[in-house]
Amino acid sequence: MANSDKPKISRRRFVKRAAAATAAITAAPMIAKGLTRQAKASGHKPGTIRLLGGASTMIPGDWTQFEKDTGLKMELTLLKDDPGVFFNDVMVNDAGSRYDIIAMLAGVQGPLVEGDWIIPIDHSRIPNWAGVEPGVKNNPQLSGMTTDTLWGVPIYMNADTFGYFPEKLSEPRPPEEVSWSLVFDDEKTLGQSAVGDNFYTLTFAAAYMKYHKLATIDKVENMTASEVASVADWMIERKKAGQFRTYWSTFDDQISNFVNGETLAQVCWEPAVKESRKQGADIEYAWTPEFYIKWMTSGFIPVQAQDHGNLDEIYRAFDWFCGGAYGALLGPLRGYATPRPDLALDWAKERDYSAEDIKAISDNLDKLKYKYAQPEFWFRAVPDTLAEHEREMARFLNT
Amino acid sequence: MNPLPRLRQLAAGGGFIAPFTIVWVLGVLVPVLGIVVFSFFRSRGVTFIFEPTLAAYESTFSHAGWQVLLRSARITATVTLIELVVAYPFALWLAKSARSPLLKLATFTALTVPFFLSPTARTLVWRVILGRNGLINTVLLEIGIIDEPLDWLLFSETAVHFGFLGPYFPSMVWPIFLSITLIDDELIEASRDLGGGRFHTFWHVILPLSLPGIVAGMIFTFVPMMGDTVVPQTVGGGAVLMLSSEINSLFSVMNYPVAAAVSTFALLFVVLFQFVLWLVLQRSGGIAHVFESLRR
Repeated sequence: MANSDKPKISRRRFVKRAAAATAAITAAPMIAKGLTRQAKASGHKPGTIRLLGGASTMIPGDWTQFEKDTGLKMELTLLKDDPGVFFNDVMVNDAGSRYDIIAMLAGVQGPLVEGDWIIPIDHSRIPNWAGVEPGVKNNPQLSGMTTDTLWGVPIYMNADTFGYFPEKLSEPRPPEEVSWSLVFDDEKTLGQSAVGDNFYTLTFAAAYMKYHKLATIDKVENMTASEVASVADWMIERKKAGQFRTYWSTFDDQISNFVNGETLAQVCWEPAVKESRKQGADIEYAWTPEFYIKWMTSGFIPVQAQDHGNLDEIYRAFDWFCGGAYGALLGPLRGYATPRPDLALDWAKERDYSAEDIKAISDNLDKLKYKYAQPEFWFRAVPDTLAEHEREMARFLNT
Repeated sequence: MNPLPRLRQLAAGGGFIAPFTIVWVLGVLVPVLGIVVFSFFRSRGVTFIFEPTLAAYESTFSHAGWQVLLRSARITATVTLIELVVAYPFALWLAKSARSPLLKLATFTALTVPFFLSPTARTLVWRVILGRNGLINTVLLEIGIIDEPLDWLLFSETAVHFGFLGPYFPSMVWPIFLSITLIDDELIEASRDLGGGRFHTFWHVILPLSLPGIVAGMIFTFVPMMGDTVVPQTVGGGAVLMLSSEINSLFSVMNYPVAAAVSTFALLFVVLFQFVLWLVLQRSGGIAHVFESLRR
């Protein structure tokens, strides 16, 4: 075929067609979304609890015990512990139409309450709630920020600190306390401590600074913009002094840093210490005088559940999470506590659990009582000055 | 009825241009335009406030976003140039000197097999090599060159440069290899017959004819590297904040307009990079003239 016979698309025609296609395409998703939302809104499954939650919610194997105790099936969909992803799923992707319980770090529910995305919890419908420790019940992050109404039910929780090498640092082992200075401000760990690369690190630094009177901070878990900036300034000074070796991003990073000898003290999650020990690292999870990062993953009921007619089933599921079985299954695995570790201990003893597992559950009970009674601090996943936190953390990492 | 002749007719007549254009518009142009458009609005949580504003761009400059962009562009451009310098002689050898089919096959396999592993697994090995207790430090300590481990080998820009070299080597090698393979050996022989030495033949025959491969290699290396998520995190250790981490961080706090603004700047950097390439190729008669060599 000769060149002159080949059809030509002029620039003008191309731009016209592209503009028309773009207009049509941008409208299409909105139409499709409306149609799919209608289809999914009726997706309730009687006898099944559809839970959206983090990987730590999961008990390896299956939910046989849950099904046996409640008569309900469990369908768990995993969600990253990221507030942005969570809000996007709930507010944009209509998670409430697809799930019966949505679980996320407590303190995230402020925008959900404001936007009427979730309903308050009637704790009288959870029999096991009565025996929950006051230190847990009174967590301000379970409320709606401006009212005393409780909006969440704790599913699992812990009091985070940091992992450290007691022999290498000549520091005592738990339950003797060691200072957070090993992470933030100590010659012994200069160039060999590590923190996370997310903005929560500023919250932990703020708690340290508040305790040691290095700054005036009202609420560590919900700092003002100027407080965040002052914490970032101090962290930058520590960074320039060479305190930090690295800033982990994932659970695997935490383990790798310990096992490969990159860090001597590192803010981390307790399961990272357990895994690192399995790989030969002689590390402990600190008990500290200054503060504990008390957090809980809580379950919330989406507003759409009122139309599904399965609130009874949802509360039955919540009662199971507050019971003995879940605590006994989860505790030895991750070191996390559930709302009633006392019931978990009884449940484990009745079933002749190993001495090691019973000790792990008993330790969780002691941990809950002691660490949760400490004044500082209940972690809040979404502070009011969220954007400022992220900006200051970026400034710290970029210095 | 056999549809192939009709399809061939359509293809020869340019009949696939319109559907291809639609696919390109849907899959590429609309998302990119969407990002640029949203960078001119504000957001509150997951909701956009559709009042035009430059607030996101102002925030990018007051935020660390601008530093991240410059750092990402600098590191990416540096590694791309290093890749070109290392990959070109390798591609030349592979195309014109390596005669043994077995050797070629082994080389192709060595270049390809690592990509059956996940990017994280491929990069994680650098931690074992560059770490405080890694291979390099252990050897240097053993032979007494150093008294203390070299901390800067890992969780540093040096480590990020190393980390990028391996995964992006094939993306530079393959296009150059292909374009050099297409060079007729008779042209090279003719140059030598006419008295041209090795360097003269390379400079005046091989290099100009391999320019399409160089251009393609640079684009296929630079552009994906700008958005790489694995290497900066795995061996940078959070100490080398690059574009992907920054955008992830902005997304996690639902700062979508600033994420869009940072992405728009990144897009401009890519366009600038291609503009620089275009300028450089003007000396060779322009980019169209360079790619004409592929027709021969």
